[in-house]
Amino acid sequence: MLDLIQNTIDGVMIGGAYALLALGFTLTFGVMRRLNLAFGAIVLCGLYAGAAAHQALGWGLLGSIAATLAVAVAAGLYVERLCFRALAESASIAAMVSSFAIWMQLEEIAALLMPRRTYAYPALSEARPWEWAGLSLRPDQLAMAAVALGAMAALGWTLRRTRFGLAARAVATAPLAARLAGIEPARIGSAMFLLACGLGGLAGALIAAVDSQVTIKFGMWAMLKGLVAMTLGGIGSIPGAVIGGLALGVIESNAQWYLGAEWRDIVAYGLLFAVLYWRRGRERPWTNS
Amino acid sequence: MLRVGDVVTAYGQLEALKGVSVAAESGKITCLLGPNGAGKTTLMMTVTGLLKPKRGSIAFEGQELVGLSPSEIVARGVALVPENRLVFPDMSVRENLEAGAYLRRKPAEIAADLDRMFERFPRLKERAGQSAGTLSGGEQQMLAVARALMSRPRLLLMDEPSLGLAPLIVEEIFRIVAELNRDGTSIFLVEQNAHMALKVAHHFYLIEQGRVTFSGSPGQLAEDEVIQRAYLGSKRG
Repeated sequence: MLDLIQNTIDGVMIGGAYALLALGFTLTFGVMRRLNLAFGAIVLCGLYAGAAAHQALGWGLLGSIAATLAVAVAAGLYVERLCFRALAESASIAAMVSSFAIWMQLEEIAALLMPRRTYAYPALSEARPWEWAGLSLRPDQLAMAAVALGAMAALGWTLRRTRFGLAARAVATAPLAARLAGIEPARIGSAMFLLACGLGGLAGALIAAVDSQVTIKFGMWAMLKGLVAMTLGGIGSIPGAVIGGLALGVIESNAQWYLGAEWRDIVAYGLLFAVLYWRRGRERPWTNS
Repeated sequence: MLRVGDVVTAYGQLEALKGVSVAAESGKITCLLGPNGAGKTTLMMTVTGLLKPKRGSIAFEGQELVGLSPSEIVARGVALVPENRLVFPDMSVRENLEAGAYLRRKPAEIAADLDRMFERFPRLKERAGQSAGTLSGGEQQMLAVARALMSRPRLLLMDEPSLGLAPLIVEEIFRIVAELNRDGTSIFLVEQNAHMALKVAHHFYLIEQGRVTFSGSPGQLAEDEVIQRAYLGSKRG
């Protein structure tokens, strides 16, 4: 029982970061009806910039996170202009395929500029875990979960209480009516795309800071976690992305504990297939957002 | 107020409007009646900038609208209540109205207009916090009208406001149309329900297969003939 509680706590901590990655996909999907396959590569670019600032310029945690966010948004701008805005009129498959090509391009550039296997990223906290009644809590993981939660609350507030949020929800649920109200879906989509890249950058920075390092595989990893979490919660739903992220974290950590480390991903992907099968054809953007 | 001159709008090779000229006068209710597929919705979408005409001109208060974006056209004072209402289903009634005022920047004026809408449509006030998708068809139609009014249009376009509504609700909608017009809003509406539309219209047109086939005031043509042509078109009638 204690193990189950401990695993669930650990799972919720990492799940907060998964939820941010899933939101990165959901936000873009809701407003643009497009899947951004370069999302992981965008996050990777940000993380490499953060690691480079740490190593070459001696920047600390906050500086590296700021560099990560700035470069993730800049890379997002590049992808948006190249794949999404330029192809706004064409089929969504064209934007998806071209974003796949940009994924490869960005990863290749990152690997050429920084060819080592791993780079150090400033640690979130080096404090020792807190022990209580047989349970342990890592302060850095707690900080990660707290920041992720704060970011989600800020996003929720933005969507519910601001003019931009109102417009974004209008575009997501009835794009034609939104245009008739004077809202320009293309503009809202671009802004939302960049916001999603910022959230992805933040999630990546939190995870890299807990691990104190980043590898070239992070982009692929972040893509998979985000897509699986988004799908588990129901494609297109904002609360679903949060729930899917937390669920993925909890399931993974329990699978790892009870079945062994090699089962962590197998169980998660198995579940993904199951959900895709059961929920097929029921995606609806931003329902109950 | 609105002058549509020889407008041709096509979907690929297929011309849905084959040179349509109509006008809406300031302070009046103008109706365009015609059967399904005659081009009514296409005309509404062309005037609001959702579709680009192949040729022709659309002048609103002397200014050309062709080439402007939907957002610029709303800003000039033309708002459309779309076919099938198209409310934002997952947003509350109040948020739907706020979205209608998207281009306006003065919160105090928006709040005052919101109160005015709730006064005019008490049912919407009762349901202000409810999501729009849970409203009945008639309530959604009122919400769609109120949402369009929130942009403070000088010309209100309506695309088949009676579509899919029970007769009593249709009567209520047309009573609101007449009221809005009495309060100074110019209205241009397209309909298939000729009986109701002729009761409120000052001027009406018949459109059949992408061409205007009649223009005059109610009473100039026997209602039976109008109804037949509005539902079926004269060619098949």
